Amino acid sequence: MTSAERGDASAADALFTALYTELHRLAGRQLAGRSNLTLGTTTLLHEAYLNMSRQEGVDFPDRARFMAYAAKVMRRLIIDYARRRQAQKRGGAFLITSFLEEPEAIAADEKELERISAALDDLAAADPPLAEIVDLRFFGGFSLSEIAAMRGVSERTIQRHWEKARLYLYEALRHEMPA
Amino acid sequence: MAGMNRERWVAVSPYLDRALELDGEDREALLSSLRAEQPDVAGDLETLLTAYAIPGSDRFLKTTPELPVSTTLAGQTVGAYTLIAPIGQGGMGSVWLARRSDGRFEGQAAVKLLNASFVGRAGEERFRREGSILARLTHPHIARLVDAGVSAAGQPYLVLEHVDGEPIDRYCDTRQLSVEARLHLFLDVLAAVAHAHANLIVHRDIKPSNVLVDVEGQVKLLDFGIAKLLEGEGVGGEATALTREGGSALTPEYAAPEQVTGGAVTTATDVYALGTLLYELLTGRHPAEPALGSTADLVKAIVDTDPQRISDAVTRPAETREKNAAARGTTPEALRRALKGDLDVIVARALKKKPEERYASVTALADDIERYLHDQPIGARRDTLAYRVAKFVRRHPAGVAAGAAVTLLLAGLVGFYTLRLAKERDRARFEAQKATKVSELLTDLLSGADPFQARQGKEPTVRELLDAGAARIEKELTDEPDLQAEMLAVIGRVYRRLGLHDKAVSLLEKSVTTGRRASGPEHERVLAQSLEELGIVLRRKGEPAAAAPVLEEALAIRRRVLGPEHPNVANTLTELGRVYGDLDSDEKAEPLLQEALAIRRKVLGELDPDTGVSMSDLAHVLRRRGDLSGAESLYRQVLPIFRKADGEEHPHVATMLFNLAQTEAEEGNYQGSELLFRQCIAMDRKGLGENHPDLAVDLVHFSKTLLELGKYEEAASAAREGLRITEATSGKDHPLIAFGEIYLAEVDLARNDAAAAEPLLRDALRIRQRLFRPDDWRIGVCKSTLGAALTALGRYDEAEPLLREAERVLKDIPGAQGQEFRATTTRLAALDDARGRQTALARAASLPR
Repeated sequence: MTSAERGDASAADALFTALYTELHRLAGRQLAGRSNLTLGTTTLLHEAYLNMSRQEGVDFPDRARFMAYAAKVMRRLIIDYARRRQAQKRGGAFLITSFLEEPEAIAADEKELERISAALDDLAAADPPLAEIVDLRFFGGFSLSEIAAMRGVSERTIQRHWEKARLYLYEALRHEMPA
Repeated sequence: MAGMNRERWVAVSPYLDRALELDGEDREALLSSLRAEQPDVAGDLETLLTAYAIPGSDRFLKTTPELPVSTTLAGQTVGAYTLIAPIGQGGMGSVWLARRSDGRFEGQAAVKLLNASFVGRAGEERFRREGSILARLTHPHIARLVDAGVSAAGQPYLVLEHVDGEPIDRYCDTRQLSVEARLHLFLDVLAAVAHAHANLIVHRDIKPSNVLVDVEGQVKLLDFGIAKLLEGEGVGGEATALTREGGSALTPEYAAPEQVTGGAVTTATDVYALGTLLYELLTGRHPAEPALGSTADLVKAIVDTDPQRISDAVTRPAETREKNAAARGTTPEALRRALKGDLDVIVARALKKKPEERYASVTALADDIERYLHDQPIGARRDTLAYRVAKFVRRHPAGVAAGAAVTLLLAGLVGFYTLRLAKERDRARFEAQKATKVSELLTDLLSGADPFQARQGKEPTVRELLDAGAARIEKELTDEPDLQAEMLAVIGRVYRRLGLHDKAVSLLEKSVTTGRRASGPEHERVLAQSLEELGIVLRRKGEPAAAAPVLEEALAIRRRVLGPEHPNVANTLTELGRVYGDLDSDEKAEPLLQEALAIRRKVLGELDPDTGVSMSDLAHVLRRRGDLSGAESLYRQVLPIFRKADGEEHPHVATMLFNLAQTEAEEGNYQGSELLFRQCIAMDRKGLGENHPDLAVDLVHFSKTLLELGKYEEAASAAREGLRITEATSGKDHPLIAFGEIYLAEVDLARNDAAAAEPLLRDALRIRQRLFRPDDWRIGVCKSTLGAALTALGRYDEAEPLLREAERVLKDIPGAQGQEFRATTTRLAALDDARGRQTALARAASLPR
């Protein structure tokens, strides 16, 4: 990942692909909320990190930057999945049932997820560190105190940044909401 | 989006920060003042803040979205169980939450569906048989294996008690559990493993994700014996092969050396994994952390590298130590102190490479942790006096409340000393008696029994504590000269450490006198020790002449008692060599320092910091004697040793660079000298600050090198900065001032400004004449330069006696100063020249036209 750091696009792609696969494999362990053997996202990412960093020529300078990157990958993974589910539903090929949730609720969530992701891309253009916090917190499942520790700033600061990002995204989504 | 673009966001962002810190009215006030100044920004701010008024907005982004899982197997039955939903996925298969199909039992279970390849080797029958053995393992902290079998479709599966919990490391971190709370939790883990071991079942794969803690705070171990179950009947290399192909079947991060090398797996293997787990729980770091990057490195680290002590591990890296400490409800420094000592030893013992050196059982490990939690001496540590005293002090904080820190210092020093004694000898009975006596004395001293402690309710000072101790030793131990001599030496040493030189000398002299009357088996060793201490203090006091015979005697005794190649002999040789150096007897100093270096090289190794110190000592002498290349080569050898021992930027390293720079200059290699000086100065500016006397030393001598390179401008400014710092920190008469003035004057001379040089040189001469004997070479150098200045000013009659005097003084000076002699000869010739020209001119002028 040294080369990814230097902005080498193909290395970053390779990294993403590897990470994506890795997270996919690990994804099954994460069933937040309803599982009894919950492996949190942190643990999941930690394992991903260990697995990733074991690969030759893949070397992030520190865990914090890896986690930020991985959280972004996680977002893409989740959004990707949401899209596929929507597509399947439209095609009527399968009826996806989930253990607890009603299909309608899921559909709403999926659309919102996509919108959040799009707004987040905008936020990333305006204020990258803030967008990163959302990736870590919302998609990565890190606690604010963990993010604060990762960044080496106070939890209060992160709390405020998180609140700002939330307001930004809320405002963006409110505007977009179909009437 | 319909939200804000970059410019608008950047404008509103700081106000949003401020607004979020305010509430109600204050926020409103901010808004209204902003409306007046920047209505656009105020509008955006208001829009953002209105979100708070919208119902449900507080839930926005509060729950993390879930990752997808395949649900295709839901509803299928495996054995007596119906699969409900997947709850985990790993290299060996997937884990499902399941419900009993026949409704006979209340609950849910976890069903592990294994990749068929895992069972092929072992055979279905053995898989079932082993499974039923494991199923008999019942313990409140062990998740039970309910069933093991192969489904009709050929799918091997395990049915396990279902545990609702999270991995122990995360559980501890999210609750910010203290070290103590973590240890209590860990004891539950140990109880579970001990129970399994008693039933001859080894876990083989203990790691955080197999040790869960449920909502009630109960520890549950998962997957007991399953690694074995999956491994098959083979022995030896099997485990290694499994690691390779299975991925998560065996986790290399937690593997013991014997698991990666294919050795026998025993209960000691679990002890090792538990050591790794404990290491992580206490520090937040992995014992092989630097090697986690690649499996090859990891395997090598597990087999070869002793992990960092846990108390050291928590001090770095800088990025995570705060977070790791915070997760334990403390600071890095407090955490380091909490782990230092017993816990260091406990974890290190569990992580020994050789199984037989680890704790003999999980119970033994648990015992030591229990003892630690009750401030009792642990079994893994030798029962030394130092250790017992420290424990005593910790158990009775009230008794030592007065000056506790001071008391600990004393106890620590005495204890350390005694510990060393214990190591150096094997006369067990004598030591035992003495230890009892010493410990009684110390205990009295340290507990509240002493009258001075009650006195006016005031805390005793270090001085009072030591004085009282010394008085009691002198009074109460008169019948035991051996012990008395030793204890006096101990207290004397403490005085020396505190810089109380006179008091130290007086006690050490008493120790020597008493030591001469002593006759115990150790009396000579103690006497040599006291003599050496005394010699060191005398030298520090500036009395090298008095120190020399004392150290000579110490050396003679040590050589006789310890043999010629003992490290302590090297210590005495070093001190004596330094004393002779102080006395300007380099011809005596050199062989002593050579011998010390040879011993340290042989006994301590080429790269030991003490060996480095010896090289540096010797290099100083070689340099003074004119063996510049010898000195340089030694300095260059020392540099990496100090870099490694003290860190890249430690002042010691800068000092070595300075010495090298000076030596290069003396050798005439000014380019090399310049480079070294620049490194050393940069380091000192950073490490010592802009006003440190050592920086002044660098700068002044650097100016000489620059002068030789013809870089006059920079030479003058370096000299001036050095002079400024020295005057501010050490006054106008400091010897370094003379150096600075001479170099500055030489710059002036080189620029044909002899008038500016003269007052500088006169002041330098004044300083040196106060400090040195009249025929000291340093005065000679000064006179020589002044002579040159006067020659340039045409005052030949004043110049000549100065130059003649300098020539006489400098003639026999060895080493680098030889060049000063040559310079003086040249200056005399220049004087003659100038005078000759003048005479010739005068003669020409007087000739009749």
